[in-house]
Amino acid sequence: MSAIAPSKGSKVVAYAVLTIAAVAALFPIFWTLSTSIKNRVDSFAIPPTFFDFEPTWANYRNLFGDDLFVRFLVNTVIVTVVSTMMSLVIGSMTAYALARTRRFRGRRALEASLIVVRAMPGIVLMIPLFRLVLTLGLFDNIWVMCLVYATVNLPFTVWVMTSFIDQIPYDLEESALVDGAGRWSVLFRVVLPVAAPGLAATGIFVALLAWNEFLIPVVIADVNAKVLPVFIAGFISARTLDWGPMAAASSLAIIPIALLTVAMQRKLVAGLSQGALKE
Amino acid sequence: MALFAVPLAVGVYLSFRSENLSSLGGGEFIGFENYTREVLSRDFVAALRTTVLVMVIGMVVQLPLALVLAVFLRWNLRGTRFYRSVLLLPMLLTPVAVGLMWRFMLNTDLGIINWLLTETGFGAVRWLGDPASAIAAVVLVDSWQAVPFLMLLLLAGLAGLSGEPEAAAAVDGANGFQVFRYVTLPMLKPVLLVALMLRLIDGIKLFDTIFIVTGGGPGTATQTLSLLDYRVGFTFLATSRGAAIGVVLALMTLPVYFIWRRVIGVEAR
Repeated sequence: MSAIAPSKGSKVVAYAVLTIAAVAALFPIFWTLSTSIKNRVDSFAIPPTFFDFEPTWANYRNLFGDDLFVRFLVNTVIVTVVSTMMSLVIGSMTAYALARTRRFRGRRALEASLIVVRAMPGIVLMIPLFRLVLTLGLFDNIWVMCLVYATVNLPFTVWVMTSFIDQIPYDLEESALVDGAGRWSVLFRVVLPVAAPGLAATGIFVALLAWNEFLIPVVIADVNAKVLPVFIAGFISARTLDWGPMAAASSLAIIPIALLTVAMQRKLVAGLSQGALKE
Repeated sequence: MALFAVPLAVGVYLSFRSENLSSLGGGEFIGFENYTREVLSRDFVAALRTTVLVMVIGMVVQLPLALVLAVFLRWNLRGTRFYRSVLLLPMLLTPVAVGLMWRFMLNTDLGIINWLLTETGFGAVRWLGDPASAIAAVVLVDSWQAVPFLMLLLLAGLAGLSGEPEAAAAVDGANGFQVFRYVTLPMLKPVLLVALMLRLIDGIKLFDTIFIVTGGGPGTATQTLSLLDYRVGFTFLATSRGAAIGVVLALMTLPVYFIWRRVIGVEAR
């Protein structure tokens, strides 16, 4: 809450700025959705047709009528779910160890590498990874992709989960330990249930990263393990002027995220102040 | 971490050899030749310039805009919740889809943005055909997603401030702008630093958006280091040369750790 009540004039300015920004934020989304239900002629019309066109579901029907596209969609869901689970399991265990063992040899090095790896452009890993995957005969394999996604998102998971676990009072665990519970059961029965909201927020975030990932699949997958973002990107080389289908595929990628963002906005504010602003 | 170490080690190994994709496993040890040839090349220097340019223009545009929006949202006017939801919407959308959306809105002949510009008398712009406007287009698309993120970060920061120092300053006769400039902004400094650092990281990493919107073009006008590396490694199929660029890029991100330590240090005080 602001300490000072803004004057009437500045309120008008605020509304004007917020409204312009809101239009700028919404319009591209609206335009994509509306293009996705236009036929070819309407999608090219100049002047553009905003509402006075005959909506059609043909673009979506064609996409779902294509077995390949359905497979890509299924691939995307599999990779997203499996890699998120993997990062969460390994990430929360690592985070627990980091949060509860204040001092150990190489802690600083580990911390440093977590940050640096997070800051490193993806392409740095992709050239050697491509070579590795090719040599091992693991090219275009969806389970290898899950592993790679999980690895790439692990630093983020560890980073955020450590700050969540840090906030859980140690007393809670001590009493469980006194009652004879082992470290593992403390982790799974005491710590993780308390950290569940944090875990869920982290999971959703990591899942979004996986859903959006483009560079990894474009490098180490072909047709078998292709995912939605790579399919969408394919429009720029092969089907430049198929705006309707292009918009439909894009809409399928962004609609779930848009809904999630609106539903989660409170948690996003909380999660960000946790993850990014605190050590 | 071992999972990262393996590809990195392979990358370093490859970078000292002369392999390319048409002769997998072939090639021989050639020492630092890839480094001297790639890193000192004109392409590399140009890409470095483009990377910094996109990053700096982006920060200059995005941070003030995000700050203004966050401050207005903090006033808690009627409808704030609606505005906040709408403004956050672009933040997490699939960059590839976002890039494609903008690419067809920015289309020179058939895009809605040029139609709008023509109707309002500004005249059409060859968005993706001219180096300067292609950079502008990349920054625009990047900002569409970055501003909501920064705004959210600053909102979280503003929410954590106690209103008391501001109220005291107001009682002492400071006007709204003075309070913001001399009380709120200094208190917000740690968050602003975090925001800058995260944008620095994202600036180095930015790939999908540029890849889709301009593909690095026209020519190499928007070719950042990541795109250059991709082109050398996967378009020219020069595995070892690409790996060398990758190693240099990785080394360039090392200082981020030290910046991060300082930022966290500032915050702890």
